[in-house]
Amino acid sequence: MSQTAAQRFLQDAALKSADLVHREIIQRGMDSYDSAHLKGRARIKDWEAARQKCQEIKREAINHLDRYLLQFEEQVISRGGHVFWAANAEEACTYVKNLATRLGVRTVVKSKSMVTEEIHLSPALEKAGIKVWETDLGEFIVQLRDEPPYHIVTPAMHLNRGQIAKLFREKLDPGIESDDPVDLMAAARRILRQAFFAAEMGISGANFLVADAGVVAISTNEGNGRLCTSVPRFHVVVTGIEKVIPQLEDLAVLWPVLATSGTGQGITTYSTLIGGPRQPGEVDGPDEFHVVLVDNGRSQLLADAEQREVLHCIRCGACLNICPVFRHVGGHTYGTTYPGPIGSVLTPHLAGIKEFKHLSYASSLCGACSSVCPVKIDLHHHLLQNRRNATEAGATKSSERLIFRTWRYAMLHPRIYALGGWSMRKALRMIYSLGLAGSILDPMRVWNRHRSPVPLPSESFRARWRKSRGAN
Amino acid sequence: MPHQMLVPRKVSLFVPCFVDQLLPEVAVDTVKVLRRVGYAVEFPADQTCCGQPAFNTGYWNEARPCAEHFVRVFKHAEAVVCPSGSCVTMVRKFYPELLAASPLREDAIAVASRTFELSEFLVKVAAVTQVGAAFPHSVTYHASCHGLRELHLRDEPLQLLRQVDGLKLIEMVRSDECCGFGGTFAAKFPDISAAMGDSKAESVAASGAEFVTATDPSCLLHLQGILSKRHAPTRTIYLASILAQQSLAQEKP
Amino acid sequence: MVQTREAQTEKAQTEHSSRDRILQRIRAGLRTVVPEPAAAGSDRVIVGPIIDEPVIFEPVVNPLERFQQECVGNLMECVLTADSAASARQLSKVLQSLPEGETFVQDDPSLRRLIDLAAPGRAIHWSNQGAPGEASQATVTLAEALIAQTGSILVTASCGGRGASVIAPCHIVYATLAQLVPDLATALRHVSQQRTLDRNSFACVISGSSRTADIEKILVQGAHGPRRLVVILQTGT
Repeated sequence: MSQTAAQRFLQDAALKSADLVHREIIQRGMDSYDSAHLKGRARIKDWEAARQKCQEIKREAINHLDRYLLQFEEQVISRGGHVFWAANAEEACTYVKNLATRLGVRTVVKSKSMVTEEIHLSPALEKAGIKVWETDLGEFIVQLRDEPPYHIVTPAMHLNRGQIAKLFREKLDPGIESDDPVDLMAAARRILRQAFFAAEMGISGANFLVADAGVVAISTNEGNGRLCTSVPRFHVVVTGIEKVIPQLEDLAVLWPVLATSGTGQGITTYSTLIGGPRQPGEVDGPDEFHVVLVDNGRSQLLADAEQREVLHCIRCGACLNICPVFRHVGGHTYGTTYPGPIGSVLTPHLAGIKEFKHLSYASSLCGACSSVCPVKIDLHHHLLQNRRNATEAGATKSSERLIFRTWRYAMLHPRIYALGGWSMRKALRMIYSLGLAGSILDPMRVWNRHRSPVPLPSESFRARWRKSRGAN
Repeated sequence: MPHQMLVPRKVSLFVPCFVDQLLPEVAVDTVKVLRRVGYAVEFPADQTCCGQPAFNTGYWNEARPCAEHFVRVFKHAEAVVCPSGSCVTMVRKFYPELLAASPLREDAIAVASRTFELSEFLVKVAAVTQVGAAFPHSVTYHASCHGLRELHLRDEPLQLLRQVDGLKLIEMVRSDECCGFGGTFAAKFPDISAAMGDSKAESVAASGAEFVTATDPSCLLHLQGILSKRHAPTRTIYLASILAQQSLAQEKP
Repeated sequence: MVQTREAQTEKAQTEHSSRDRILQRIRAGLRTVVPEPAAAGSDRVIVGPIIDEPVIFEPVVNPLERFQQECVGNLMECVLTADSAASARQLSKVLQSLPEGETFVQDDPSLRRLIDLAAPGRAIHWSNQGAPGEASQATVTLAEALIAQTGSILVTASCGGRGASVIAPCHIVYATLAQLVPDLATALRHVSQQRTLDRNSFACVISGSSRTADIEKILVQGAHGPRRLVVILQTGT
């Protein structure tokens, strides 16, 4: 019998949160991010003003999404580019696959794009006999391991150099002796360079779609995005429709904020703007330029008055980095394209509330995510709203609904509440005195699995108050 | 936050349900501290719960009547003081939304504006940081999430702790990282909750402090369970319980 | 694979109808009124008038100094030269330090002059002969602008093409002080006003040598792009 996503999550979460080696690796990675991030923040004079500005930019863009998308499209087409609007994952994959097949593409080089993960583009291309090379080092590594990215910005942060060296030896070149990151990068560079120059098609994502200039903005540190969009004959951009921003000058604040939140840098090393195929007179560049605008559930979010702002996300990864749940279960446990707080909020909208509501409950609602989001998405409150939506859709267990109906009755009747509390304490004291703590008879057995039992005073506060008539 | 409100001489105590049942000393000490700084304290006996457990689990229709009951109970209070940042967050931050369509909406907004967590009441409303406490021990501070991020309590608890005679305040690493309790989260995702508590216990241990305190006794209940299971020497103590301690010289005969 | 006329029309219809459907859904969704989010810290009292446009970045007071500082942090080299003779010497010095191999140079009169002066004794591949080869050891280009705030160079397709700033392990930029602007906002404003992106299919703000931290978050220089980025910044003529 196949498991539900919720059951799988619970199982994986239990395993991962007890895995102290994993915890140590993630903690070190996050400590490194924390100190870099702080340095990055220090470069921005007024961080709150920056967040406010970014929120305003995205709000303007999303609130006039159709206008800005059309403005973007018009210019791309005027320069000889193509724009394809894909209603869902299947349409997007079919378009790219058919295009590649028609153009005789045998090899594709890809720079990082979470949307291509979302629509499962690589498997679709590979089924058509096309070889796909992930060129971002982290993506390259997880591709070799045949696993999804662990984190939307640093896909291989769960691995240490020893594991990566072993992987390279097994999959690439048995002659790789060193596990020094410098040597491992050099090995990856050697192999991927061949791919860059052999591939007929480069596929990239987009960090932003700039409406007034009609260009795609792509940020990378490695230069792989640059090579994917310069060398091969054909360039395809796969992007969500929500990536739009109104003006080129918005990048003056968005680029530094994205880099600061993502890695702590002042700006990503290569902040590229591409508006079309190679123009007459240009030295090089692709002959064809295609932009695939993917909806796949995003337009539905526009109608949600509470959660439209979830479309403001610039995919920086800051919420993943600060989330204590993420730090303890890791990116793979979520089982979704987008993990972490943004993933938990967004996935029910993209992939169904029934199947993925559990992610909205897998949070202590600490609010750290909302406090760091550079576009001020109220993430933890959206988790709360998802929980309410799940309940109102009747998607919760009937036993739980009964518990809260009983709870409500007790809370509206103070004497029942007091009696209930007293009975619970008495029952627990009896159970514990019989040595049955942790057994099936112990209602607190889940608590007692990891903690010593709660104190069980003989008198509640209200009983004491009543007795002493408020004197103590 | 209405800075200009008249300083009340009487406060109504709101005791979170789990404090009432499991940690009555938290409420007892809260009362002690409030009296010591010159307030009469009344305890409306009809109070039950702020509604947070149902609300946080998505059962807003069940939480709503509970919230209305709270509003009725505290409608005439000059000020409501509560030893829990998460319960105060429920009232101040969420009652206006939860009761938006209720006939008690206006009352709810009014009560919400007069409901305070203990440390913010002492520092911002009563304008005191020196409460005549003595606690000659090393203490580290866990910044409970609701107090920190919803009520914006960054400094108030620390201001109070710094005035305690003999208290040595030690900073812990990642003091603002969630302890992992999260209410129903601990019941639904016990392994993650415990792992987060474990990491917090590590930070506490690394600080070397004898005690760890916070503005939320629920955090401390969860942490104490974990610390005891690990046989760790650090003990949890709620903020008011520290402030309630007086030096022998100050104790009235 | 040749498509039949029917298949092409059907394909066009599908594409067209997807576009229409998406736009329709977007417009329907946008009819929902979304209240403005509450101001930050709305439970705090705002005292005084709200000033317009808070300053997000500290204004750059000394652009040249700032640019040089940022270059250090970005792991790129910035060499100040007084005149073209000095620039040529620096260029020569850098090229001599590199292994034998093709040197790609943007075909521009100022670079023709510079190469003449430098007389590097290496085979020069000019950009009018095509993009840099895979085995290029160095590329030499101009830039559109230098940006002090972030220690960046702005290049476009007109600066020798796309590959020129990424294919070879060493990229050398020949720039003048007059090209230095204080910040990103200024640079982007110029790009908009001068309609640079109407005349160039590509532009890039480059802020350092290529790098990655994907392995254990340890910074490694020289990923797929150049390991060395050298800016020869000429202050005089």
